[in-house]
Amino acid sequence: MANRTDPAAKSIRGTNPQNLVEKIVRSKIYQNTYWKEQCFGLTAETLVDKAMELDHIGGTYGGNRKPTPFLCLVMKMLQIQPEKDIVVEFIKNDDYKYVRVMGAFYLRLTGIDSDIYRYLEPLYNDYRKVRRKSPDGNFILTHVDVVIDELLTTDYSCDIAIPRIKKRWTLESLGALDARKSVLEDDFEEEEEKDENEQDGLEEEAAHEKQDYYRGRSPVRDRERDYRRDSHRHRDRDYDRDRDYDRERGRGRDRDRDRDRDRDRYRLREEKGYGYERDRDREREGRERDRRDRDHGRRRIRSRSRDRKRHAHSSMSPRRHEAEDGNPPEESKKKKGKKEKKDDGTDHPDPEIAEANRIRASLGLKPLKL
Amino acid sequence: MIEVVLNDRLGKKVRVKCNEDDTIGDLKKLVASQTGTRPDKIRIQKWYIINKDHITLKDYEIHDGMGLELYYN
Repeated sequence: MANRTDPAAKSIRGTNPQNLVEKIVRSKIYQNTYWKEQCFGLTAETLVDKAMELDHIGGTYGGNRKPTPFLCLVMKMLQIQPEKDIVVEFIKNDDYKYVRVMGAFYLRLTGIDSDIYRYLEPLYNDYRKVRRKSPDGNFILTHVDVVIDELLTTDYSCDIAIPRIKKRWTLESLGALDARKSVLEDDFEEEEEKDENEQDGLEEEAAHEKQDYYRGRSPVRDRERDYRRDSHRHRDRDYDRDRDYDRERGRGRDRDRDRDRDRDRYRLREEKGYGYERDRDREREGRERDRRDRDHGRRRIRSRSRDRKRHAHSSMSPRRHEAEDGNPPEESKKKKGKKEKKDDGTDHPDPEIAEANRIRASLGLKPLKL
Repeated sequence: MIEVVLNDRLGKKVRVKCNEDDTIGDLKKLVASQTGTRPDKIRIQKWYIINKDHITLKDYEIHDGMGLELYYN
């Protein structure tokens, strides 16, 4: 009796609104004491009072899948079907974040696509912390905007399979929605301008260098590099060696990566033209040699010391260089070894086992021990 | 490598190859990939003993060819 949907309620997605929740979870909710005691005979107004008492969100938890009060109240909302204005009020209210999340959740389940985007996207700006009950019964910290993102991008949340909605760009092309304007747009524009000024020479470089760019172009790193260069400058050493030294030590980028990979591209970069740092540093320090190099191209820098360490390279093949530390030769050997024999067992002769290992690898498990 | 059989007595019978030192959670993921349900919806039981996710098959003494019951949450 108490579990029947209000007869005047509309059907959602062609079915009883309560059917949005799966049968097993639904049965668990109906058997729950919170539902039986507190959610009996609730109306929209009294529902708000109950919602204000919420202090965590979540689906079912524990060994016997007990539903959270949040889930029970969402179920109640599906049962009584409050009007859209009420739901929007829930979302707009600022004081009670759990009421907000609940309203957003309900809207996501029952609203139309354009409404969903229109009302849920402003909630991306809400950074407040939210307590979430994980399926094993512990609490997890999350934030309102993380929850909203989950609602908008995934298709399963809080033990309810969320209905599919049209993609945003579909709605934009239909004209039902405007293009998304992020609150952080102004900040992004500033960042972009600053970056553009810094990275003039870099667009030619390979696309993958983008990662390098973010790592290597930060002002701090540039400054570091310059200091180190300066410190070596006055020493009585072969300039080229210093330069190599600086490049290897001061840049930091090579240190953290697979040197082989980097080295090739890095080398290619050098050959290609004037690496950004070199340009800037040259301008800054205005060394004669640099100027000369700039004029004659990078090959010139392959001075005696360089040749001692490296062979002239016009090809991309990896070179072993003792000058740099011992890691590169080992890493590349390892890499070669791996290519010959996959260590996740997916090339096992028995196709069944190979298939099983493939599935295991995709799940992140180790291969079968035979 | 052992092979366990999971049966839900409603028509779904699944044979899964796994290691002895896999946990029940891993087994659930493998079963989920084969049956198509979500791993957190699956409950693996052996006669009222609900197997917990963090314990290995070896500790539950699940051997090759053993049958487990498949229930849903």
